[in-house]
Amino acid sequence: MESKDSVIAALKKVSVKVQEVDFRQRGYDLEIMLESGQLRAFAELLRTGNFYLSFISGLHLSTGIEVSYQFANYSFPCRLLAHVAVDADNSLPTIADIFQGANWHERETKDFYGVIFRDHPNLKPLLLAEDMEDLKPLLKKAHSLKDRDALTRVVKNAEGNPPPAVKKEDA
Amino acid sequence: MTTMAEKGEHRYVLNMGPQHPSTHGVLRVILEMEGEYVMDPQPVLGYGHRMHEKMAECRSWPNFLPNAARMDYLAALIYNHGYVGVVERLAAIEATPRAEYIRVITSELNRLQSHLLWLGVLVLDLGAFTPIMYTFEDREKILDILEDVTGSRLTYCYMRVGGVVRDIDDKFIERTREYIKWQRSRMPMYDKLVTGNIIFRKRIEEIGEFTPDMARRYGLTGPVLRGTGIPYDIRRAEPYSVYPEFDFDIPTETTGDCMASYLVRVREIEQSLRIIEQALDKLPDGPFMAKVPKKLKLPAGDACYAVESPRGELVYHLTGDGSDTPYRMKIRVPSFSNLSLLPELCSGMLLSDLCACMGSLDLVIPEIDR
Repeated sequence: MESKDSVIAALKKVSVKVQEVDFRQRGYDLEIMLESGQLRAFAELLRTGNFYLSFISGLHLSTGIEVSYQFANYSFPCRLLAHVAVDADNSLPTIADIFQGANWHERETKDFYGVIFRDHPNLKPLLLAEDMEDLKPLLKKAHSLKDRDALTRVVKNAEGNPPPAVKKEDA
Repeated sequence: MTTMAEKGEHRYVLNMGPQHPSTHGVLRVILEMEGEYVMDPQPVLGYGHRMHEKMAECRSWPNFLPNAARMDYLAALIYNHGYVGVVERLAAIEATPRAEYIRVITSELNRLQSHLLWLGVLVLDLGAFTPIMYTFEDREKILDILEDVTGSRLTYCYMRVGGVVRDIDDKFIERTREYIKWQRSRMPMYDKLVTGNIIFRKRIEEIGEFTPDMARRYGLTGPVLRGTGIPYDIRRAEPYSVYPEFDFDIPTETTGDCMASYLVRVREIEQSLRIIEQALDKLPDGPFMAKVPKKLKLPAGDACYAVESPRGELVYHLTGDGSDTPYRMKIRVPSFSNLSLLPELCSGMLLSDLCACMGSLDLVIPEIDR
């Protein structure tokens, strides 16, 4: 893979839902929705495409926990963010054998959200103390949970520009 | 004849830290040793964990500004820059041109003092006490300049959404220009005192083999990555602020050892000086703060903002829900990924070389623990 377009083509070939977003508004180029079954094949594909793993993060929604993976490339500008909803038993397959850097990021996500990464070599608490395993500090209380739609940008006008955030009257 | 090591009789566990001078903070490394050789180093994190990501979800976004500086105490302004950058991107606000220039000037001064501290302590870790006295003399000059304009010496809270808190004045510009001249006059001395020192070279040449493939597998960024020959710097790869307006090089080396990242960092000092010089020359007039609503709410949606910290790629990923409190904020810190390759990198090396490797990674532990 040597350009953003070839990445999009390669992802579409394995039927991954990929959407181009405006870098100036979002700070990344591609937003990807994955099924948990596709995760490992997706990571393998990026590994052969010479991507590196930037971070793994989580998001607690009213529909459950979503884990996000950000990848970028040293050779050409293409930052992508992939979202995967966890399986019913609150677990996901590990990618620590494909991207070794995922090891700590997955342990951190386990600390904060309690997501189990299947076949992870060492899923012990990383940032939290060992007796804090059940704390899961980033889980939200039921009344403050929101769904994806409430966290999605509303595009109002036809050109696809965001609505102007700075209103004259509150300035 | 089988050696004792082969019989497994010689392995023992050595605990390093959490209070140890060469871990530069409260980092603990459990070392499985065979004689003087480290067979399996396992870092233990979390001694300085404060859960900044949770704090971000519990307070309105302006109240998180002081937190940004408290993750990496050596690059507080760059953490400021990333945080105001992500809020501006999400809320579609633009800082004024003068503010962007001031941000770049102060961020680069911040990067310089971080590199100067690293230079001093790396050499100190390897047993040479003198150079840190010289680098701290230089570093004090930067801290004095920044203290005058920001009001603090390390944990700056100087940038705001839309601009900066205080404008820089002629005195700041004059002192910064004097400092640039001073720092340039010092570099030949460091070349002779440190770079050309045979004892120092023997301690870091061919120690630690970072490779491009390892970098991709672990998400390595910053000077250590550039030491493997990959010219990847967020300031150039995904230009932010006004960096595209300056002419500067991305120094690289090809050997990938500790010496390579050492040379990259030392040459980056000159590049930062060049950026500051150009920014001072081109500094536009005008307001240093844009008009921003007093009660700004974060719109629904998410945004990332990546900046180049002295240690590599720093990313803020902010998710807003229409209120003034972030729904989620993820902070990707460079040292976290950089340190995670320690077990693979340092297995089988001498304990004293492990210290050289950790010094080369330029670890800042509060950043890793967050």
